[in-house]
Amino acid sequence: MIPQSPTRTGAPCRDGCGTPLSLVPVRCCVCDADDAEPLAIGEDFEYRTSPDTFLAVRCRRCGLVYLNPRPDTRELDRIYPPDYHAFNFSEGEFGFVYKVRRRLEARRLLDCCAGLDAGARILDIGCGDGFHLDLLREFGMPGWRLEGVDSSARAAEAAARRGLTVHRSFVQDCPVPPDSVDLALMIATIEHVDDPPGVLGAVRRLLKPGGRVVIVTDNAASPDARLFQGRHWGGYHFPRHWNLFNASTLRALARKAALDVDSLGGITSPVNWVYSIRNRLVDADAPEWLIRRFSLSTPVSLGVFTILDSALRLIGKSGLLRAIFRKPAA
Amino acid sequence: MGHSDRLPVAIVGAGLAGLTAATFLRRQGVPIILYEAGPQVAGLASSFHDADGFTYDFGAHFITNRLAAALGVGARCRTVTSYGERVWLKGRSYGYPLGLLSVPRFLRDGLASRLAPKPPPESAADWFRATYGTSLADEVAIPLVEAWSGAPASELAPSVGEKLANSVWKTIQLKLASRSSGRAVACGYSQEMPEAPEVWHVYPEGGLGLLCRRLAEGLDDAIRLNSPVDEILVDAGRVRAVRVKGREQPVSAVVSTAPCHVLAKLVRGSEALLPMARFRYRPMAFVNLRFEGRGILPDTVLWIPDRNAPFFRLTETPLSMPWLAPEGKTLVTADLGCEVGDERWRMSDEALGALVVDHLDLLFPRIRERYRGCRVLRTPIAYPMYLRAYEVDRRRFEQSSGVAGLVSIGRNGQFAHALMEDVYWRTLKSMRDLVATLNAPRADSRRAA
Repeated sequence: MIPQSPTRTGAPCRDGCGTPLSLVPVRCCVCDADDAEPLAIGEDFEYRTSPDTFLAVRCRRCGLVYLNPRPDTRELDRIYPPDYHAFNFSEGEFGFVYKVRRRLEARRLLDCCAGLDAGARILDIGCGDGFHLDLLREFGMPGWRLEGVDSSARAAEAAARRGLTVHRSFVQDCPVPPDSVDLALMIATIEHVDDPPGVLGAVRRLLKPGGRVVIVTDNAASPDARLFQGRHWGGYHFPRHWNLFNASTLRALARKAALDVDSLGGITSPVNWVYSIRNRLVDADAPEWLIRRFSLSTPVSLGVFTILDSALRLIGKSGLLRAIFRKPAA
Repeated sequence: MGHSDRLPVAIVGAGLAGLTAATFLRRQGVPIILYEAGPQVAGLASSFHDADGFTYDFGAHFITNRLAAALGVGARCRTVTSYGERVWLKGRSYGYPLGLLSVPRFLRDGLASRLAPKPPPESAADWFRATYGTSLADEVAIPLVEAWSGAPASELAPSVGEKLANSVWKTIQLKLASRSSGRAVACGYSQEMPEAPEVWHVYPEGGLGLLCRRLAEGLDDAIRLNSPVDEILVDAGRVRAVRVKGREQPVSAVVSTAPCHVLAKLVRGSEALLPMARFRYRPMAFVNLRFEGRGILPDTVLWIPDRNAPFFRLTETPLSMPWLAPEGKTLVTADLGCEVGDERWRMSDEALGALVVDHLDLLFPRIRERYRGCRVLRTPIAYPMYLRAYEVDRRRFEQSSGVAGLVSIGRNGQFAHALMEDVYWRTLKSMRDLVATLNAPRADSRRAA
């Protein structure tokens, strides 16, 4: 006899989020093809903002991984709830991990800023709570003009509380003069936006000739992406990561946005390893104490996977990609 | 894409395939008209509900979480927690497919068949014997395929077996994943896309019609209900127009979901499809019997390879999907092959119910006491019959309809026993190919200009 229990409709979701999201079909933003194979089926394992299930697909023509269908842009406030981590990555919340990440990120950021003038203008696109701008303010040159842009009111408010200059808008509407930015940062941003080529086109307009944009994003060709490919990979971040790149699709994106590729390589990150395991545990209804061992505030799991991902970086297979694109000088 | 100056593509039939085609073509900017002979969309992909709280489908349909996610209806689907098939042999049931390997003669003959040299099979009977071994073929596979197809296995083409894929190891992996996750992981369901532990069965709230209703959203202006296509007009090997209600509508292409033998008769101006008029479908009566209690069958599907039984398959859908029957009651569907107009086809629902219960009582004593009536769904086109007599034509038709601008899609249109998810992906593929051909002449004309 088969156990019988009527099951719920859709994925589990938090209180007040029982209504399905409005979802829209999309095509590949890099090559415009509407020819993709299904790759993963998932749900919002982390924030439980809707009962929907989501499909990540891979473009057969260029290899881009993208969410299709994906939430309508009117649903952004719903899928980025008030407790979303990017709005509040604070020492109070994340303690030791916060301190370590600050040091690591500061070093990486300053690497990207090498060669900038004392009065350089730096724009952080999708700045969240201003974490990176804050680092530049603390560790960078005092004359740098630091600005952020984020479409989320919550993010803009959090950044403003740090005393940072933040434009609450999409980058396409950002009130920064054209040809004025020396360095743009898109750290963990490109995967969230609805139209990466359009956003990069807007960034290109804001950059000075010869100016650069730094893109850091999840590596869809990493071992963790492959291992957890069918459902639980942390990089899917269902339903908030709309486009996921590998080195080849990042290059194609640069071509489409008429930017030159200065450099393209990997950087270490334990986050997707930790979240992949967490998602797997959540999906299997594992006990809460075990799930809690895998989060952004658990130094042990983050440490272990930092070591693993550092080793993988040596063979070019790290969890994150960092691309530096340059606006042609003439 | 600039298709607005083009003639529309006519789509014949507003079931799952027709609506998928319409949605995709519209997204590519291709103008469409979707003709549906009936008064509503959905075709075979619909469910029926009765006043007592039972839900009936044409056969036991499942979909997968993958198809639900692709259509954006995952939030309105329930997870199917378990699904299994068993085979009834001499008073005992065996798990399908792995449990059959516990029968020594099946295992012995199966292994021997793997080692033996295999001449190319000429019929389905040859194929089953060569692939499964003589005893499993003769005792299980051949009686089932004959009841299913309504023809001797020696007259069926070997291709009838080709859909039964998955290796033993893959099957074990999927079955284990199903057991450990408490989800009915799809196994032997999908051919177009790989099966994996992350792909399991779900069922839409309120029945299968949800899929078609979702696909039909935004197509109101393109759907013509109660509008059977009477003729497809072909000139010089290319589709030119369709005739509907006596009116001729020029078209750039026709996408048909009509059964092949019907499509063959719709085409005017070409003989390319005439061989398809011979393609036959197996009519079925699905006898849905209502019972008190649950758990009549040992698992959701029970195959009955017994030539003396009136049915070859029994399905107790509420074992997998409890919501299809009211609490404390169940539904068992018996599949009865028949011919249109024969004795079974003409029998009243009550008589068919009695016929099935008489035989069920032999398998499950005293089941008659729990029987509470039945509802019969009949279809003249349940399954394609892969007869050797037209296998060459069928294979040719798999490649092309033989008429430029005429594409045949869907379960009936492709003469394939394809389940719902495969229909969806196959249709998308066909439509991508169609859009490519629709775009090709434009490039030519630009060059000419």
